[in-house]
Amino acid sequence: MLSWSGNEQGIEIELTDVRDATGGANVKFARELLDFATAATELDDAAIVLAREALIKTAGVAVTIDAAAVIANFEMMTRLADSTGARMPEEVVAQRLGAATAMGVDQAVSRR
Amino acid sequence: MGNTTISLGEVRQDLVRAHNQAIAALSKPGTWWTGAQRRELAITAQLAICELEPVAPWVGVSTVANKLPASLTAPKIAHDAIYRISRHAATLTREWYEKVTAEINPLAFVELCGIACTIAPVMAFRRSLGLPALEVGPAESGQPSNKEPDNIVAAQLNWVPVVGPADKDAAVVQAFTAVPETNRLIWAMADAQYIPDKEMVDPKWTRGTLSRVQMELIATRVSQQRECFY
Repeated sequence: MLSWSGNEQGIEIELTDVRDATGGANVKFARELLDFATAATELDDAAIVLAREALIKTAGVAVTIDAAAVIANFEMMTRLADSTGARMPEEVVAQRLGAATAMGVDQAVSRR
Repeated sequence: MGNTTISLGEVRQDLVRAHNQAIAALSKPGTWWTGAQRRELAITAQLAICELEPVAPWVGVSTVANKLPASLTAPKIAHDAIYRISRHAATLTREWYEKVTAEINPLAFVELCGIACTIAPVMAFRRSLGLPALEVGPAESGQPSNKEPDNIVAAQLNWVPVVGPADKDAAVVQAFTAVPETNRLIWAMADAQYIPDKEMVDPKWTRGTLSRVQMELIATRVSQQRECFY
């Protein structure tokens, strides 16, 4: 979805930057958004305060609230997918192989 | 750096409504669980998400002393399941699912997943913004409806049963259809948190804050952090 939405808007997305949380070329506030999402998924209270303040300072309160809402959504969807055994059809998996490789999915050791 | 305070009053009303509706349902009788059981399971999900030293995925939380109340209304395996879904979702396997659903009705399992999928986003949203922590209200009396849709079928793209015809929609879309009330509450949250369903195909859609590509950047990062292969 990230690659698709970027392509549709003529924005080049470097998935390895997203994988490494180093930015995400050409996306406005990418650094702050990635730091906020990363801190939100960890249990370090100091880190989330810092990341939130940095995002508010650069993008404003309304963007920060909507960023938190997207984080919330994917805290929901990842559990929905994993708990119900959701999987992609084989043909879709094949189509997305390039993106999966760029994100390092092929290198991940399954915890299952 | 100063600490900016954000209040619930600054949050979009559609999002507040979707969260409030889902939170209120946690302590009401559901389709397969009573209000007391749903509330109790929600509190176990909260515990799982915020513990600094969580119980390992292969250990049932109900077997660890002093983690859960001594007297439980929901079966221990339901508490073990919701703890693992809430904290270690990436470790779940079909074998685990079959073991759990040998003791719990598969549709009750779907509702249980829905409880975890309510607690996790609301906690994440509030914690991310420094808002007051979630408190689940007192349990309401009454019996679950036990209302089962007519056309429940097995799916290829999920291990849970779904409303037929299966596998016409994406696996995440059909996942909760066998428990319609859970499905409704979860997708009402998704519409408000992310993108309304009818706008999903428009890459330029925005609420005027985040662009679609910014939303997908966050989505990708969270999914990566949670090791979600889907």
